[in-house]
Amino acid sequence: MGVVEGALIYSNLLALLALGLTLTYMTTAVPNFAQGSFAVFGSYIALTLLRLFGIHPYKSLPIAFVLGGLLGAGSYLLILKPLIRRGANVVTLMIATLALDLILLGFRGIYAGILGKITRQPCEMFMFSYLVKPVFGVPDILLVSSLVIVLTLLGLFFLLYKTKFGIALRASVENPMLSEIMGVDVEKTRLFSWFLSGALASMAGVLLPFKQEIVPATAELVIVSIFASSIVGGLSSIAGAILGGYIVGMSESLITYYLSVVTGNAGLLVYGKVVSLVIIVVTLLVAPRGLAGIRWRKVIRWRSGR
Amino acid sequence: MLRTEKLNAGYGELHILFDVDAKVNEKEITCVVGPNGSGKSTLLKAIFGLATIYSGKVVFRNEDITKTPPHEKTKMGIAYLPQTDNVFVNLTVEENLKIAGYTLDKEELKDRIDFALEVFPELKYQMKRKAGTLSGGERQFLAIATALVRKAELLMLDEPTAQLSPKFAEVIFQKVVDLRDKYGLTILLVEQNVKRALEISDRAYMLISGRVVFEGKAEDLMHHEKFERFCIGLQ
Repeated sequence: MGVVEGALIYSNLLALLALGLTLTYMTTAVPNFAQGSFAVFGSYIALTLLRLFGIHPYKSLPIAFVLGGLLGAGSYLLILKPLIRRGANVVTLMIATLALDLILLGFRGIYAGILGKITRQPCEMFMFSYLVKPVFGVPDILLVSSLVIVLTLLGLFFLLYKTKFGIALRASVENPMLSEIMGVDVEKTRLFSWFLSGALASMAGVLLPFKQEIVPATAELVIVSIFASSIVGGLSSIAGAILGGYIVGMSESLITYYLSVVTGNAGLLVYGKVVSLVIIVVTLLVAPRGLAGIRWRKVIRWRSGR
Repeated sequence: MLRTEKLNAGYGELHILFDVDAKVNEKEITCVVGPNGSGKSTLLKAIFGLATIYSGKVVFRNEDITKTPPHEKTKMGIAYLPQTDNVFVNLTVEENLKIAGYTLDKEELKDRIDFALEVFPELKYQMKRKAGTLSGGERQFLAIATALVRKAELLMLDEPTAQLSPKFAEVIFQKVVDLRDKYGLTILLVEQNVKRALEISDRAYMLISGRVVFEGKAEDLMHHEKFERFCIGLQ
């Protein structure tokens, strides 16, 4: 797999993950630190289906979508909704998602051990790269991950702009009180956003092992890049999250690769997350509201000297 | 149609309304006037369930709705239009009207939108525009139109002419009169433009410091010897 191809695959997955994070932030104002765990949950679903039933990970995408969705919706119903009802502030909610992340990490560790015993193969560390096949001269995972993001965006566009429920969801994001006055069940739209967020993350998780090695703690590393993407996008913009996913994904892969070539030190590749952290810091300092908050017309006028 | 009995309400520990007895007759415009901070908006919010009610009752069509949640009141035919943020600025006019009829089926929704556009034909040509790009007056048209879509029988309007040019304000007053005369709706109106509001109203209440100081025919309030003293908050 080439460096650019790998970067594109990673960016596709990051865009999916950032989309989910942004969606739940927009509807419930919860910065979800367990989003990486939702993804690795999907990775373990794919691994389980592959090792126990010989199901190819691509075919496990729909199952991962549903189960990931249930994990997302369950997290909201059991942990976050009761806290929001009690008037918890954003810090409390953030810490709750951090706790959820650590709980899921623990479960993953235990599960990986059990699955390893059943299948008599190590499950604490795995990759699907050996399943990659070339199609039309490019790795099939590049086509599949691109197809997943394109279909997700088309589906999301149709849902948000062409269906009554989608309009209600957008209305609930803008003004929950007025939505309730109009008779919209705002709670249902919030629950749905958590379902979708978990489902998209889980699908990204199924495809992630094609690109990188998965261990139970992968989630805690990936979350840095997911937050960087969402913050670059402005945290409350779907288009921004997608764009952020590509900016962070490409920068993280290509900058670390370039530095490792220039310095002749391949060990640098391990520190790819530093790029994401630098992006977070720079975005917060220069454009705290992300790409969506920049007044582009003003920038263009300034650039053209008008 | 609607009445409050000894209503005490406010926000949390901030007690604003004291023993308010008020009634709204069917197919009439009832207007609530009073100086700033007298509790006019709180009265509408308390009736709709958006303020804390400490004691007293709200009765609609002989049914006690004191504890009925707002979205249930919407279904009963009560519409409340807040003074600001009464439309979704990021949605188009068409989407605003559709979301207003969220609980209706497709056929009924179409009929209701057609009806709302009959009352506000000005909106017909703005359907694809985002509500945030409409003028203040057009936004008020849209806000009232959304109430019509959701089959409101009682419209509670909180200062619908605030921040509008006198020309647009007059159009809104005229529409309110039409809603009563042509379409048989009942209106509870809170207004800063006291004189004009009283001219179009059938009945009126004057609130000062959360207490009713006048109740009766709108024209009687206008000609009341203490009217001007009432208006500046002196009893």
